[in-house]
Parts: sequence; C-alpha cells; structure tokens
Amino acid sequence: MNSQIIQDSLATDQAASTVSTAFDSLWAGGDIPTQSLSRMEQVMLADDKIFVVLAVVLIIWAGIVVLLLRNDKRLRDVERSVEERIPDPEDEL
Amino acid sequence: MAEPVVNLKRYLLTRNLIIGWVTCVLLAAFLLNIPKINILEHTARNLYFHVPMWFTMMAAVFVSAYHSFKVLKTGDLVEDIRALQAARVGAFFGVLGLLTGIVWSKFTWYVGTDIWWNMDPRQYMVSLQLLIYGAYFVLRSALDDPRKRSRIAAVYNLFAATTTPFLLYVIPRQMESLHPGAEGNPAFSEITDPLMRLVFYPAIIGFIGIFWIVYTQRVRISLLKYRVTQDSEM
Repeated sequence: MNSQIIQDSLATDQAASTVSTAFDSLWAGGDIPTQSLSRMEQVMLADDKIFVVLAVVLIIWAGIVVLLLRNDKRLRDVERSVEERIPDPEDEL
Repeated sequence: MAEPVVNLKRYLLTRNLIIGWVTCVLLAAFLLNIPKINILEHTARNLYFHVPMWFTMMAAVFVSAYHSFKVLKTGDLVEDIRALQAARVGAFFGVLGLLTGIVWSKFTWYVGTDIWWNMDPRQYMVSLQLLIYGAYFVLRSALDDPRKRSRIAAVYNLFAATTTPFLLYVIPRQMESLHPGAEGNPAFSEITDPLMRLVFYPAIIGFIGIFWIVYTQRVRISLLKYRVTQDSEM
C-alpha cells in the first residue's frame, strides 16, 4: 500500500514536471542554435541570461551619465557668458 | 527681471519624488520573481527598461509638438527653446531604446548567429524617425534669424511629431516582427503576467520623470543663456 502511495506521488511529480518543461530552458520546441556559442554569448547567456538585463541597464545608465555631463557643459558655457558680462572691480580703479 | 519660467519649488519636489520612485522601480525590477519563459528567461525583465524608452520618446515628442504649436500661436521664443530641448532629449531616449533593443535581441532570438541588426520593421521605422528628427536639428542650424527659425522649425516639428505614431506603432504592426503586436497578435494585455505589469507601468512613469528632470534642467540653462546673450539656440 505504501508503494502505491509512493508511485502516485511519483506520477504527480512527473505530471508536474511535464507542465513545467514548457517554461524550462531545455524546452523541446525551442530553437537549437545553429553555431556553437561565441565567448561573448557564453558569458551573456549564463545564469538564465541575467547579464543581458545588466547590459541593458548599464546602457541606460551610461546614457543618463552622458545627459548629466552635457548639462554640465551647457551650464559651464552659460557661466562663462555671465562672467564676461560682470565688470571686474579692479578695472575701475 | 522677467518672471521665472520654471517653477523651482515644484521642480525640486518632483525631482526628488522621481528619484525615489525610480529607485523603487529598479529594486522591484530585479527582486520580484517573474515567470520563466523559454528563450527570454531573465531578459523578460528588459520589458521594464527597453519599452519605457519608447514611451519616454513618445512623451517627449508630445511635449515638443505642444510647444511648437504654441510657437506658431504666440511667437514666443521661450516656447521655441522648450520645443528644441524636448526634441533633443526625446531623440536621445530613442537612441537608448535602439541600443537596448539591439542587445536584447542579440542574446535571445539571434543567439548562435552573428546578427545584430535584422530586418525588423520596428527597428527600421524607428531609425527613420530618428533621421526625421536629425533633419529637424540640421534645419535649425541652417537658419540664422531666431524669429524665422522658430516658426519654420515649429512647422517642421509638427510634421515630425505627426509621423511618429505611424512609424512607431501603426506600420510595424502590419508586418512580421519580433515585437509583440505584429500581424494582429496581442501586443501586451493578454500575454503579460500581472506582476510584471505592476513594475512595468511605474517604470514608464519613472523614465518619463527622468526625461522631465533633464528637460527642465536644459530649459533653465538655455533660458539663462538666452537672457544673457539673446542666443536661443543652445
């Protein structure tokens, strides 16, 4: 009787595993790569492709940094124009 | 002294809110569990980063077109400055969207190939859209008289804004594409996990907020320059 229960639980386990295979990385319907993976792909595809997300976030972060630096440059430009227009007190002496 | 065009108090409050908001979005984007889908795997999280870039560009296009319309209505050069800065930051977010899309597709559907740039209609249409905005910046630099420039650029900018929804959303949906929503497929609502939507919509608001911070800073700087040197082009 005990073995029957174990078999039943095994069957449900198997049923559960067939359900989850559709979401697994080894899904049979998935495309099989035509070439062997390049080094870069080996790195990027590790750990369920989390490094791809990291790369995307870093691109956006780099973009925001570029915007910051450009704003800084603009501010410097305006500062120069303003400084040119402020009379130097020593000139008047 | 002219009246300040940017409400500084409101700017500082909104800026701080947005910074906190985006921090929470980033945490949720990485810490919450998502359903694991073949090919996509963790890259499904790029939904929170790549897609809001386009929403941000679209918002920037609306802001820019609104101020171009006001240029034609009032002839105010301050509106011209606003339209130019919104278009510039918007185009920049478009470039970020393109770059993130290239990286995303390379390590999902293009694994095992050397494809970085494929015949995806959305990629092409968006590049075309960025060229249309490139022409806007070139057109501005070709005109010297500020009043004339503001009016001609406003008319062109309204044209550029009108083409945007068609090139970004209408045409790519009629063609075969990696993007969801192509060929009458569901675009988003039926295929996205509710938990992911909980992060996705706030992410859109957060990135539009970042656009708004940068855009407001630029308007402030350009206005100062304009008051000091009478140069509205910066």
